[in-house]
Amino acid sequence: MNRPSEFSSIEHSQLIELQDRLREAEETLDAIRNGEVDALVVGGPSGQQVYTLENADRPYRVLIEQMQEGAVTLSEDGVMLYCNQRFAALVGADRQTLIGESIERFLAGEEIFAFRRLMTLDRGFGRSAELSLLASNGLVVPVNMSIADLEVDEQMPKVLCGVITDLTRSRERSHELAAANLRLAREIDERRRVEDSLQLALDAAEMGHWDLDLLNNTLTRSTRHDQIFGQVNGVKGWGLLTMLSQFVPDDRNAVNEEFLRAESSGSVEFERRIHRLNDGAVRWVQVKGRTFYLNDKAIRISGVVSDVTERRQVEEQLRQSQKMEAIGKLTGGIAHDFNNLLMVIGGSLDMLDQRVAKNEKITRYLTAARHGVERGATLNQQLLAFSRRQDLRAETICIDDLINTFANLLDRAVGEAVTVKIEAAPELWYCRTDAHQLETAILNLAINARDAMPQGGTLTLKTTIRMLDVQAATANGASAGDYVAVSVADTGVGMTPDVIERVFEPFFTTKEVGKGTGLGLSQVYGFARQSGGFVSIESCPGIGTTVSIHLPRATSLEATEVVADTPVEVRGKGIVLVVEDDSDVRAVASSLLEDLGYSVLEAETGSEAMKLMDRGERIDLVFTDVIMPGEMNGIDLVRAMKIKHAGIPVLLTSGYTAQRIAMAEMAEGLQLLRKPYTQVDLSLAVRSVMKDQA
Amino acid sequence: MSEKNRNHEILEKVSDEPVADGFDLRLYVAGQTPKSLAAISNLKKLCETHLAGRYTIEVIDLLVTPQLAAGDQIVALPTLVRRLPEPLKRVIGDLSNTERVLVGLDIRSKTGSRT
Ligand SMILES: Nc1ncnc2c1ncn2[C@@H]1O[C@H](COP(=O)(O)OP(=O)(O)O)[C@@H](O)[C@H]1O
Ligand SMILES: [Mg+2]
Repeated sequence: MNRPSEFSSIEHSQLIELQDRLREAEETLDAIRNGEVDALVVGGPSGQQVYTLENADRPYRVLIEQMQEGAVTLSEDGVMLYCNQRFAALVGADRQTLIGESIERFLAGEEIFAFRRLMTLDRGFGRSAELSLLASNGLVVPVNMSIADLEVDEQMPKVLCGVITDLTRSRERSHELAAANLRLAREIDERRRVEDSLQLALDAAEMGHWDLDLLNNTLTRSTRHDQIFGQVNGVKGWGLLTMLSQFVPDDRNAVNEEFLRAESSGSVEFERRIHRLNDGAVRWVQVKGRTFYLNDKAIRISGVVSDVTERRQVEEQLRQSQKMEAIGKLTGGIAHDFNNLLMVIGGSLDMLDQRVAKNEKITRYLTAARHGVERGATLNQQLLAFSRRQDLRAETICIDDLINTFANLLDRAVGEAVTVKIEAAPELWYCRTDAHQLETAILNLAINARDAMPQGGTLTLKTTIRMLDVQAATANGASAGDYVAVSVADTGVGMTPDVIERVFEPFFTTKEVGKGTGLGLSQVYGFARQSGGFVSIESCPGIGTTVSIHLPRATSLEATEVVADTPVEVRGKGIVLVVEDDSDVRAVASSLLEDLGYSVLEAETGSEAMKLMDRGERIDLVFTDVIMPGEMNGIDLVRAMKIKHAGIPVLLTSGYTAQRIAMAEMAEGLQLLRKPYTQVDLSLAVRSVMKDQA
Repeated sequence: MSEKNRNHEILEKVSDEPVADGFDLRLYVAGQTPKSLAAISNLKKLCETHLAGRYTIEVIDLLVTPQLAAGDQIVALPTLVRRLPEPLKRVIGDLSNTERVLVGLDIRSKTGSRT
């Protein structure tokens, strides 16, 4: 400060400056007095020092008091010099009681060592550890404690400050998070399992999966999907158009429309044909799917696809065989009636033959008439063959042997314009079948081949072996196993698919009236089915046709019994009861029997016959039709007789001897005479039955 | 957080280059004492209103650098020092009395309108 004695020597400018400084000094004092400053700078031996007034650190205090972390000031050995309200709340104690206490009071067991380690750790700026505080109320509070050394004078004892963060919430949250994670993981697992099993199921069902994204027109497909479409390494991106282009041109529009419709209808389902990429084969695929919407807008269609070609073949086969079965029943009925007619005509002719004085003319007429009956009978045999109601005289035969003995006949049947080639089989294969019917079948095929080659050509007859697995067999309506296939191939006109579809139907013919009967292939079909086999046809218009009869292969060669014909009639005596519902046939049968020397009783029904026997009439033989209307057919009659009249022998006769009807009875030694029969057939049968019984 | 860090945040210069014919001001504070905080905020407001575009402020925290107190002979905080234009002038306090600050910095005369 300036002394007053120097005032006089001070110049004016200096005076002004001094005045200013005085004013400043006054102002400073004023400011201090008025509390306008809150810190002072005081010079000392170690330089300038700043002292803040008492309330100068208030902002920090408030901050520390208000913060959500616990704050403590600790002495070197853990005694609390200060703590904030939050820390007191954390440990559940009154703040006043805490000052001067060791913080270790709130640390349990192991935690104390962790805490001490934290305290003594290298004096970094700060260090922290997660600890568990043991609150007064017994609760364990997980916290993070961070410790920093407070820099104070060297002389002063060491002081540390700590910030304690409550981790309860975050622990909870991480537990919740962990639980949620676990749940999610389980859900993912579950979903993956569902997806896996779905995949398995789809695989097992041989179904492919596809997913059409309508927004960006991309089609996601499974491997199986691509296999079905024949795209072996299908990485190429597909859209709806790619999908459409897989279908045969005829089906493309329809498929496109199905997909368009699916956008509004919510689902899609159709069966259409594709060109399989890898082999160009036409395959039927079934496509099924569902539409998914977002805000009423169709965004994707997703579904499955499977190759249903085989199923459709089997279905087609089934339809075909059901149709044939129905026609067969019808044909069987006609054949039955037809047989009775032939029976009447034939029998009457036999009787005329004996009663009429013969001249050359009459003999010729009679012969012609008989010839007609025979032809009628042959046709009827074919009808019966088709309806499978004919007896199969099954024997084990070598197909090759049969064909060889047959070659001459074949040559003659097809005429000179056609070259016959017979390809010998590499092995001798055997089948259990009716040799006579097989011959007829081959002959029918040969005649068809000839008719298909009016300008000549080549007919090839060959035998091959085919092994059918279940699938292939089912497709042909047969059972799995080895089949001997007898094929007749021609180089003729061939057939269109719609003709092939109908050729087995009886009376289906494309030939002129008088040229075709429409029964040839019907016989082939019926015979093959009755033998446990089937027929297949491959034909191409303008190129030719191959028809193959497949017969189950037999493993062992059995001895076949040769039946010798006895062409002479045998007369006899006795009373024969003729049971027959058709009065014409009954009259003919009676006449034939009387002619042979027998006395005849007649009955129209089985029950009428029973009545006659019950009355005690003398009867040496019952000659009965198998199929009769009414409550008692021939078989029923035989059963009834077994109880009451077991001594009377029986001879059965039938137009079609469906084996399954008669089998049981046949096994018991019953004899059956097939209609139409000649007088000679009848005489032999009657004799044989009566002789057995005598 | 450390003391040093905190003070660095407060220490600031609005502009590096002193503007010609401008005011070069220096505010001495003591950390974040209430008056120091008030002085900083009052000074900024005042300069924007009356010296816009022609001033620089340097805030010096004497808690961090107490030795700087000697240069401008600071005894109490906060203190505002006008280094330019000469002569050096001082205003003590939290600068809440705008009138007094304007007079003290010679921006306005004691009696009234001197620009
Ligand atoms: N080898 C063949 N080539 C061409 N068409 C055939 C052949 N075999 C059969 N068909 C056709 O099948 C039809 C039926 O044959 P089929 O049952 O034998 O009766 P039909 O020979 O008396 O007409 C024949 O009319 C003919 O249209
Ligand atoms: Mg024919």
